[in-house]
Amino acid sequence: MRLLRVFERRKQDLEEEIQTHIRMDVQARIDRGESRVEAEEAARREFGNLALVRDVTHDHWRWNRLERLAENLSYAFRVLKRSPGFSITVILTLAVGIGATCAMFTVVDRVLLRSLPFEQPHDLVEILESGKHGVTPGPYLDIQQWQKRSHTLHSIAYFSANLIRVSFLEGSDGTTHVSAPLVSANLFETLGVRPALGRGFQEQASSVVDPQDAHSIILSDAVWRGVYGGQSSILGKVVRLDGNWFTVVGVMPRGFTFPLGTALPAIWKPIIIGDADTKRLDNGNPSYQAIARLDKGKDLSPAQAELNVIQADVAESYKNPDDHEDVSEIRLKRYDDTLVNSKVRTALLALFGASGLLWLIACLNVTSLMLARATSRQREIAVRGALGASRWQIVLQLLIEGLLLSGCGSLLGLALAASMLKIFEHGLTSQFSIHERLAPNLPVLAGLLLLTLVSSLLISIWPAIGAARADIEPALRQGSPQQGMGRAKHRTRAFLVVTEIALSLTLLVGCGLLLRTIYALRHVPLGFRTEHVIVANMTIPSYKFAGKNMTTQLYQPLVDRVKHLPGVESASLMTQVPLGNTFHMMFSLGDSGNSPDAIRRRNLRAEFRAVGPEMQRVFGFSMVRGRFFNEQDTAASQAVVIVNRAFVKAYYGDERDPGSIIGEHLLSLDSKRKAQVIGVLDNERQVSVEKQSMPEVEVCIPQITPDTGFYSGAEGVAMDLAVRTKLSPSAIYQELPEVMRGASPDLAASNFTTMDQIVEDSFGSQQLAAELLEIFAGSALLLCIAGIYGLLAYLVAQRTREMGLRIALGAQRSNVMWLVLRQAGWMLLAGLSIGVGIAYLSTQGLRTFLYDVKSNDPWTMVAVTLVLMVGGLAASWLPARRAAGVDPMEALRTE
Amino acid sequence: MIGKSAYKNRIELLQGTLDMLILRTLQWGPSHGYGIVQALRTQSGEALQVETGSLYPALHRLERQGWVQSEWKQTESNQRARFYSITRTGKDQLASDLSRWRQMVDVIGAIMQGEPRGDEV
Repeated sequence: MRLLRVFERRKQDLEEEIQTHIRMDVQARIDRGESRVEAEEAARREFGNLALVRDVTHDHWRWNRLERLAENLSYAFRVLKRSPGFSITVILTLAVGIGATCAMFTVVDRVLLRSLPFEQPHDLVEILESGKHGVTPGPYLDIQQWQKRSHTLHSIAYFSANLIRVSFLEGSDGTTHVSAPLVSANLFETLGVRPALGRGFQEQASSVVDPQDAHSIILSDAVWRGVYGGQSSILGKVVRLDGNWFTVVGVMPRGFTFPLGTALPAIWKPIIIGDADTKRLDNGNPSYQAIARLDKGKDLSPAQAELNVIQADVAESYKNPDDHEDVSEIRLKRYDDTLVNSKVRTALLALFGASGLLWLIACLNVTSLMLARATSRQREIAVRGALGASRWQIVLQLLIEGLLLSGCGSLLGLALAASMLKIFEHGLTSQFSIHERLAPNLPVLAGLLLLTLVSSLLISIWPAIGAARADIEPALRQGSPQQGMGRAKHRTRAFLVVTEIALSLTLLVGCGLLLRTIYALRHVPLGFRTEHVIVANMTIPSYKFAGKNMTTQLYQPLVDRVKHLPGVESASLMTQVPLGNTFHMMFSLGDSGNSPDAIRRRNLRAEFRAVGPEMQRVFGFSMVRGRFFNEQDTAASQAVVIVNRAFVKAYYGDERDPGSIIGEHLLSLDSKRKAQVIGVLDNERQVSVEKQSMPEVEVCIPQITPDTGFYSGAEGVAMDLAVRTKLSPSAIYQELPEVMRGASPDLAASNFTTMDQIVEDSFGSQQLAAELLEIFAGSALLLCIAGIYGLLAYLVAQRTREMGLRIALGAQRSNVMWLVLRQAGWMLLAGLSIGVGIAYLSTQGLRTFLYDVKSNDPWTMVAVTLVLMVGGLAASWLPARRAAGVDPMEALRTE
Repeated sequence: MIGKSAYKNRIELLQGTLDMLILRTLQWGPSHGYGIVQALRTQSGEALQVETGSLYPALHRLERQGWVQSEWKQTESNQRARFYSITRTGKDQLASDLSRWRQMVDVIGAIMQGEPRGDEV
């Protein structure tokens, strides 16, 4: 607005300047003796064309263009207001396409394009050891070798973080849940971030923390502000974390956190290198994830090659020759690539691509509408041309109309995108592990602006070129809307519709494949019952039970109390419920010797779970042989284990009777208690619905005591409480947290969900993709049908006279109908055959998503083709009927 | 429409000459539009009548180029008028315009004074 005022003032200035000039001239003439009237007339004559002077001078001002733009805009606005039906159709169509793309771009931006809170994050690499059994973090001794010998990697730092483990920071007003990763002295330096307050951990030797700092911690900004109100007196303060006392020595800057992937605020503890780190032990060295920095912009492969050479020597230093193969190589990965796994990336890009297709279909549809409109506006444009508008001005005018339409579409699309993100928030945030709110932000708005511009160009460039090429004279001469004109335009529109059909088919095929996948996943036999089961994933305050037996003091009393809640049929504990994916413990056998049996058993890796005896009643696990745990299995009785069918197969390497494993000794609970196999479970899904069962070993919770080797790992870190109710799950939701709070206040913060939800979440990415694709493909189908209908209805309206003439000359009405249907059939056939080709190629990208259905599944293709075919023919039925119903007398008289 | 930087038609003799004449006039001191017309007329011995239709666009163009600047002041006869004055870059421009003009006069002069030497048929 300010600009317009400045512009107005300049106009007045010029006016005054001109008036002054004339006044001076008049005065001079009067002084020379002319009369006032004569002088004024002569002065005006001499000055020349006032308006021309004004216009030419205005042209030299920069603002002039803006003024023209405003004029064009207001004209475009009036034009569009005159045909509200058209405008609203176009805006809605564009809003659907732009909204879908904008929503998906928001997710892409958040997941794939986010900037990490480190310096030059792309140069950070993660170093892990890899071998026969996959990828593992390395012990300090190995990291030390890399630090000494590598020239391609700098400041190799290491850390140890358990993202699901909750630590408890005790303050004056309650306990705060934090994550407390352990870090080496140089970690922050490697990341290129300095503490905002205080200092980092003191370095004793390279990367090793000075033992004097063993009880120092560094706070994140979130903890500092959230718990300590951002006081600068925090440095030197002594705080209690997980039951131990620490001194705060530093605070990290706002926005910094490491490692990424948890919503909890962080506190960093130092890694103190001790004897367990510096002497090679069998399976006993703590291991750390290592992270280092490449030279700026350098490639990964030289560093990879160098570290593999070093690692060959490192592997030699392992005493146990079996271990060599576990650590024979190094896996180097850019840190930012490790944050998004490739399946998620593909999924996200596929969905983004699908939304892009929908946008393209919307644009094609609108282009087709714009072309039809350009035909009916030929006269208006011709008149403007005749009145002196240049071709450029006419093109500009049409482009501005396009811009106005796509601008309105974008605004509406933004609202659509925001509501779509809201509706799918649970799916999107849990599938793509996003920890902040999902809403369009600045980069997304920039993207939206770009999308608006491109859309406006796409939809208006074709009609604009047509208008610029058209001759003025014939358009002015013909009285009625033209017939026989714009044949090329009809062909263009038919081509647009064909493309739309092809693209819609692609989306529909993708959607169909995912729906089949979901159907198949829902019908996988899971091996357990899911209905009426509530699961609480507990945050365990193990620090409060140091030196006590958690089994008898926390877990058993808790289960007893839960069982007495009204409506509870049974309740029990399990380190991790099937498909929970919160925590994994692996079990391996330590058979020595070189017989094929020993080697096979050494390589066996099994899921390890500690389970309460009542769990069979909660989940309805079925036994193949033997029995499940029961109340008689206690710390005092014979130690027992259960394995599953897959374990038996892997253990013996053949299909013998599963019962033959009963009575075997697989493991010991402690030095005195050897555990005996008492039963074989039927296979159940453990990791995800898609994955076949892995071998599994289960031990009985009441038999675990603090002396048991895996006590702290199994009981102190993760425990799920599963409850079967007679009532609906919501009835017990209120009471369960209360009971848990009674057992220990920290348990109230546990995560409550239902088993059904856990199963759904297990195929959440497919579920989400299917739901989004349903929307995208459904919209595409609607747009496509609207496109076919629009074109045919328009053609019929244009050819009313011709139809009338044909009927008057004796054509059967069915012939006329056939004329229209033939046109529709031709477009459908062309579109569908191109579409099947595109779909065949593009659904390859969906392959990682699919379960029990191939990406080129013929049934899906046929079904989808039929749907489009029927939809398309239905859309052409109405115009065809209208064509057949033309009254020849009326049609011929209209001329 | 004129782009931001392009100073169009510099080589076009007429327009370039008018700009040069205006700058030259302003070298003697600030003046308003009417004053410039009068000055050019007297200087040229009444031979040159500048069209106001070209003068004002030229003045605004020169101002946009930053070669002249303007302010509203009172004239001797107590009228409010817009006075233009030449800027530093305007003076540089005038100097280069002048040398180009001299060059052109010399070149054209040389051509025009030479005897036609073609063989007559």
